[in-house]
Amino acid sequence: MNKTITIDPVTRIEGHAKILLECNEQGAVDEAFFIVNELRGFERILVGMEAHTLPQVTARICGVCPTAHHLASAKALDNAAGVEPPPAGKLLRELMYMGHMIHSHALSLFVLAGPDLVFGLGGEAATQNIVGMVEANPELTKKGLRVRSIGQKINEVIGGRGIHPVTAIAGGISARLSDDQHARVSALSTEAVTLVNELSPTIKDMLLKLLDDNPVLLDKLNLPSWYLGTVNGGKLNVYDGLLRAMDDTGAVRAEFEAGAYADYLVERAVRKSYAKEVYLDVDGAEHMYRVSTLARMNVADGMETPLAQKEFEEFRDRFGRPCHNAILQMYCKLVELVYACEKAHEIINHRDLRGETRVPASIKGTHGIGHVEAPRGVLIHDYKIDAEGIVRGANMIIATQQNTAAINASLKESGADLLAGGNDEQVLNGLEFVVRCYDPCLACSTHAVGQMELTVEVAHQGRVMRRLAREV
Amino acid sequence: MSDEKIRLNTDWLCDCGGCHVALVDLHEKILQVLDSVEIQHCPVLTDVKDYPPARIGILTGSVRTEHDRHAALVMREKCEIIIAFGTCAVYGGLHGAGLAHSREEIMEHVYRRSPTTKTDTIPDAEVSELAKMVTPIDEVIDVDLYLPGCPPHPHFIFESLASLIEGREPRVTQDSVCGRCKRQMIKGDAREIRNTLDEVPDERFCFLSQGHICLGSATLDRCLAPCPNHGIACTGCAGPTMQILTEPYLDIRTEVSDRMARLTAIDEDIIKTYMEKTAKTQYAYAMATKMIGNKPTFLIKKWIADVEGQINE
Repeated sequence: MNKTITIDPVTRIEGHAKILLECNEQGAVDEAFFIVNELRGFERILVGMEAHTLPQVTARICGVCPTAHHLASAKALDNAAGVEPPPAGKLLRELMYMGHMIHSHALSLFVLAGPDLVFGLGGEAATQNIVGMVEANPELTKKGLRVRSIGQKINEVIGGRGIHPVTAIAGGISARLSDDQHARVSALSTEAVTLVNELSPTIKDMLLKLLDDNPVLLDKLNLPSWYLGTVNGGKLNVYDGLLRAMDDTGAVRAEFEAGAYADYLVERAVRKSYAKEVYLDVDGAEHMYRVSTLARMNVADGMETPLAQKEFEEFRDRFGRPCHNAILQMYCKLVELVYACEKAHEIINHRDLRGETRVPASIKGTHGIGHVEAPRGVLIHDYKIDAEGIVRGANMIIATQQNTAAINASLKESGADLLAGGNDEQVLNGLEFVVRCYDPCLACSTHAVGQMELTVEVAHQGRVMRRLAREV
Repeated sequence: MSDEKIRLNTDWLCDCGGCHVALVDLHEKILQVLDSVEIQHCPVLTDVKDYPPARIGILTGSVRTEHDRHAALVMREKCEIIIAFGTCAVYGGLHGAGLAHSREEIMEHVYRRSPTTKTDTIPDAEVSELAKMVTPIDEVIDVDLYLPGCPPHPHFIFESLASLIEGREPRVTQDSVCGRCKRQMIKGDAREIRNTLDEVPDERFCFLSQGHICLGSATLDRCLAPCPNHGIACTGCAGPTMQILTEPYLDIRTEVSDRMARLTAIDEDIIKTYMEKTAKTQYAYAMATKMIGNKPTFLIKKWIADVEGQINE
């Protein structure tokens, strides 16, 4: 006689999601599912399209990380054509991407997670948002929003557009930087480095205070797993490099080119969600793994830029390697935000930036695979292209999807305790917090609105026995 | 302008979230908007869960699920003016291309044909069945204003909000993307259709003049033409111009092939046939709307089936 608990947060970016806990009679959770309840089917939609337009088309998969799809797609086409963009083309793409990373991480830290930092957990929902933050800490909030804005502007100058950029194509970038644009990005990146330098100690203090105030968080969300992230010469890299797989003890178990992803990644469909789970297939066994900022910090030996390296060392001293705690994603984002600002500044002053931006690329009758680190983790695009230049097959591994198995494991872990001890509100808050820590794409929306709109149903042999709803 | 702020609700249906990011991307101008507008229900910025009565309602995304349909109906009931915001809301958007395939076909492709998927499982428990169609918002509720764009450029977002706040007509033109494009339209001698990977187009001249398919002349300008001004031909993401929407025998391919034939040495029929063969690219953003779908010569399902029949063989 099992009972089923369903939590249905009516909020999403990538469609709806809900949480399902299947319990036995003693209240122990048998299985937990983070259920993604929407499928747009892009792998099918892309088939039949002109392959050279895919960087523009696939950006539309996500309005929150369009630049990640845009660049993964362009890199898949480079790979199909067997070409490398010239130095300026590669630098411009990376500069565009730094703009996007700055925007995405600043949005996450200041707009989405910001309220937790400023007000602490369990604050008043009515003020737990960006408007409340402006009143409580105008200086911090304004600077944080300015950093986000700078990132998006850099992305727009290079990409032609901020949301759904267009300039990355097979073989490089379609437009050169003008003198005006160069001066503008130079000023913006200088400002970004200054701002982030001012902001990072404050954010770090707030984060550490949040952990001190809620010691249980560090304990509960400690989930050992494998990690997958990109390194270039051992250093953290979000645009290019080798995929490094690390096990739960911190040992590097594999390093491979994105082109070999099908040898290492296994997708498993489940009956209860449209999202497939993904496992790392290494040494003859399948391993649960995680991607995103925490994974990148774990697999990397260091950072390319000086201020970020300092932050990186401080993080590692404090939390060790590998660090298994999902709540520290916020801290990791701060380190990467510092890196992205510094890197943007470095690239805009690079002497190769103003050269040729593209090389010829022929993609007819080819197969190409490309990847980047999306803000939320490894993103892979894989296309088969026919002799006419039309897409014949498409496969994509999306960041959030790779964390699904770990989210399920954490929900199972926390769910049992919460159900045993907690009142309705504690169950709702606790489970919501677990999901939010993993920062799945839909967390962007859930957090900004303060609290998820939740309904929990406890069912017993098909009948609803208990209903928990958060009044709003 | 009165001191009382104008109340605004926004909500997102089936979309990528980009239109709401575009609202945040008003950057410094958002403070100007906030001076006159009280944002109530808004998924990115506030914690208002219900739908308070409002003067303006912005809806992004298309209708794909029961939840989407319900949200659209409630927004209509509570808001005096509904803006269909973004290409998905107005025309169905990119995922509208899903209508070319059956649900079974999509599932088969995603869960059985993917090279990395080792299972033979199709999700069928706890998940809702996929809706058959992607529906633009105005097939579900009455819409007062349309602002297409993927996403619309902040220039147009600001102008539309400012005009509503000030109670005046928005100062926007119905020009095509060509109106903002710096390239010069000339009579060229291109003999075959090319794309940006076959040759680097000359940045001084119109893509069509050089034999490259560009949808700029058939696409409404809600973007300020960033693509052709950055070396990329227009892919039509803001949807068709009014001229194309209102004339039954005009559509994207007839407009573009007619113009391109005049500007090159390529036969109009060759261009038209090519665009039918690549219909999924040419109609990527607007194929779900009846405004295009009901045109008598528009046979997109046949065109796609012709090409993909070969692919599935």
